[in-house]
Order: sequence, then structure tokens, then C-alpha cells
Amino acid sequence: PLPDVEFCGYCITHPSESKINFRIQTRGALPAVEPFRKGLNDLMGVCQHVLNTFERSMKEFRAQKEEEMQ
Amino acid sequence: MAARRSADEMRDRVVLGEFGVRNVHTTDFPGNYPGYDDAWDQRRFEEAFRVDVIREEEDTLEFDMVGIDAAIANAFRRILLAEVPTMAVEKVFVYNNTSIVQDEILAHRLGLIPIRADPRLFEYRNQGDQEGTEIDTLQFQLKIKCKRNPQAAKESSDPDELYFNHKVYSKHMTWVPLGNQTDLFPDADFRPVHDDILIALLRPGQEIDVLMHCVKGIGKDHAKFSPVATASYRLLPDITLLQPIEDEAAETLQKCFSPGVIEIQNINGKRVARVANARLDTFSREVFRHEGLKNLVRLARVRNHYICKCVFQSPDMVCVNKQRLASTCGWLCASPRPQHLYIQNAVGNCLLWD
Repeated sequence: PLPDVEFCGYCITHPSESKINFRIQTRGALPAVEPFRKGLNDLMGVCQHVLNTFERSMKEFRAQKEEEMQ
Repeated sequence: MAARRSADEMRDRVVLGEFGVRNVHTTDFPGNYPGYDDAWDQRRFEEAFRVDVIREEEDTLEFDMVGIDAAIANAFRRILLAEVPTMAVEKVFVYNNTSIVQDEILAHRLGLIPIRADPRLFEYRNQGDQEGTEIDTLQFQLKIKCKRNPQAAKESSDPDELYFNHKVYSKHMTWVPLGNQTDLFPDADFRPVHDDILIALLRPGQEIDVLMHCVKGIGKDHAKFSPVATASYRLLPDITLLQPIEDEAAETLQKCFSPGVIEIQNINGKRVARVANARLDTFSREVFRHEGLKNLVRLARVRNHYICKCVFQSPDMVCVNKQRLASTCGWLCASPRPQHLYIQNAVGNCLLWD
């Protein structure tokens, strides 16, 4: 969620086509592409972090199971 | 204070009322709640986010994701189901099929058999390529003939005794290496995940002789390529007793929930109910059918705590699939990179191709 975005929405025009219609409306002088770009970058950050956390948790879980077996 | 508490409840909990569910949508966008700073902050997300692996078995993985939004948790689930590749039989070359099962039915059944093969070792087949090469194809052969058993007793009517090979199982599928696959995969053991999948039934004189080509594909193309039997999630239940509940009411309360959720303790001679483990509950909402109890309990779910459960097609897919979840993260990152971005007018309408 970003402070200067007045409206943000998307729709998929037709399920058979891989196309998404995005509508982003900003307040003031902020160009509308900026929130979009920021959103994509943030999403990448989130996914990367989820990936790292997941890998770490799996490793810990397996290490813990090994300990319990021994 | 009360206002803050109710705002917290609206932000964190999805409340199950008697006739409906409240606070379903995420409302914590910036500006909506005075006094809260809801602008996206990667650091805050990282501090709050965690993944707890609960259970990992041969074919099941149960883990919790805490601190993530519904959209992203759902995106992972959808990607696991539809876009994570596996190997499955795509083309069946029928050399001889005198069984009662028609060619196309047999081919269909063979396609659905899960194959134990790491899809990362293979490439996708090129479009329009009918032959397949060793980098994109795994070849299996199923060659089996049913014969009468000369040693069977005369009066026997048990097919297991009377015939040899009358049941065609997936264990009868053998890997036929293509090209240099024996060198590429010297230790590999490519076979169906389960040995005991019944493919067809035969009687003496009938035989099946087919060659199968397995290719790499995704669930979106055909469900046989989906690596998970299913991938699902649910929100963590949160049961609060608004007042102390004792004695008979406590027993009734315990029966309203799944076993293990409510525990009855003996305090000062009275039997008092306590929420022992809300996670086990499946929320039948039986408690709303009891007039005396329905106002004493609040049933809710924690909005950003996802209990995810994936049942995989093949056991080693669990390890592979943790990589998968990883790569789906990578996928999610990589794919929305727009190659072409059109800004149509000043208001900011964009059309996006990926």
C-alpha cells in the first residue's frame, strides 16, 4: 500500500488470454508508472524473502528431526 | 482503548458470526486507520514474517506462513497447482494392444501415472517436435503378455492362480534410455512413483506392447502435470472465551468443538473450560446452536496466519518441491517483468503484456 495512490485495480479481460488490465491513479504530480514499478519491485522483495525464510525453516526442521532421531 | 481494540480486531481477525463471516477483506491500506502506519515497509514485513514447518512426511508437507497477505499466499497455492513442472507420459506409441482396454483409454490412463523423475533434469520439448530428443524426453516401455497357467488346479476360478500377468501394474513399466541418457543419469531410477497402480486387466492371449514418451509440462496444460495431489491452506482458528464457562456448560462446550480444542480443568473444585489448542478445530460452529453458549465464545480466524498443506504426487517431490516453492517465488518475481508497457492516457491506464 502506497500513500499517493488514489485508485488501483486490475481485471482480466478474458480468461483465455494472458492479459491483465491495470488501472492506477495517483494524486498530485506522481507519474502513475511509479507505483506500478514500485509494486513489482516490492513483490520481488517479498518473494525473495519468503523463499529465503522457507528454505531456512525447512533446513532447521530437518536438522531438528535428525537430532530427534539420534 | 475500546476503539483501538476493535480496530485491532478488524485488522487482525476474520470473525465468524452466527449467520455470516465479518471482516473478510484486508483493510489495512494506508490512510484507512488513523494512528496506524500502513505504508509498505519491507523491513517491517521481514521482521514479522516467518515460516514454521509443522510436518514433513513422504508425500505431505504442512507448514505455516505467518505475516503474509491473502493474495500472495493464494498466489503460491495457485502456482504450485498449475505452474510447477513435472514429467508425465504424453505420447503413447501402441505397437500391439489386444487387451479389452481401448488404445485411447489406455493412453489416457498411462498419462495420469505420476512419474518419479526430477523435471529440472529435462528441458521442455520444442513446439511441433514430434520425435523428441534425449534432453526433453523420457522413454518407458510396457510390454506384457498374459498366459494361461498350466499348473493351475482344474476347478480353480481364481484368476491369480489360473493366469500369469493378468493384471498390468505400473511396476511393469520399464525405463528405456534414449541417446546418451545412460551416461547422463548413471544412478537414475526413473520409474512410476507407485508400483501398484493397476493399468489394465488381461486374459490369456492378450498382450500390451507400448512405448511411452514422457515430457515436461505444467498443470495449466493438463492436470496430469500437476505436482501436487492438492495444495490448500486455511487460516489459523482463534477461539476466545468471553466469560468463564463451568461445569455442565463446559462439557457442552467441549462437545461443540473438535476433539482436543477445549480442555476442562479442575480449579478449586469446579470444572472450568479452557481453550487448549484452537488449531485443531474445523469450525463446525456447533456452538451457535446452543442459546446459552453462543454469546460466550468468539470464533475468529487470524487473518495473516496461513496453515498450508500440500500433498505431493511423489515422495521426493517434497524435497524437490521446497525448491519449487522457492522457484515459484523466483517465478513470481521473474514473470511480471513487463516486456512492453503502454501508457495510453494521462490518467494512467496501462495495458500489460507478459
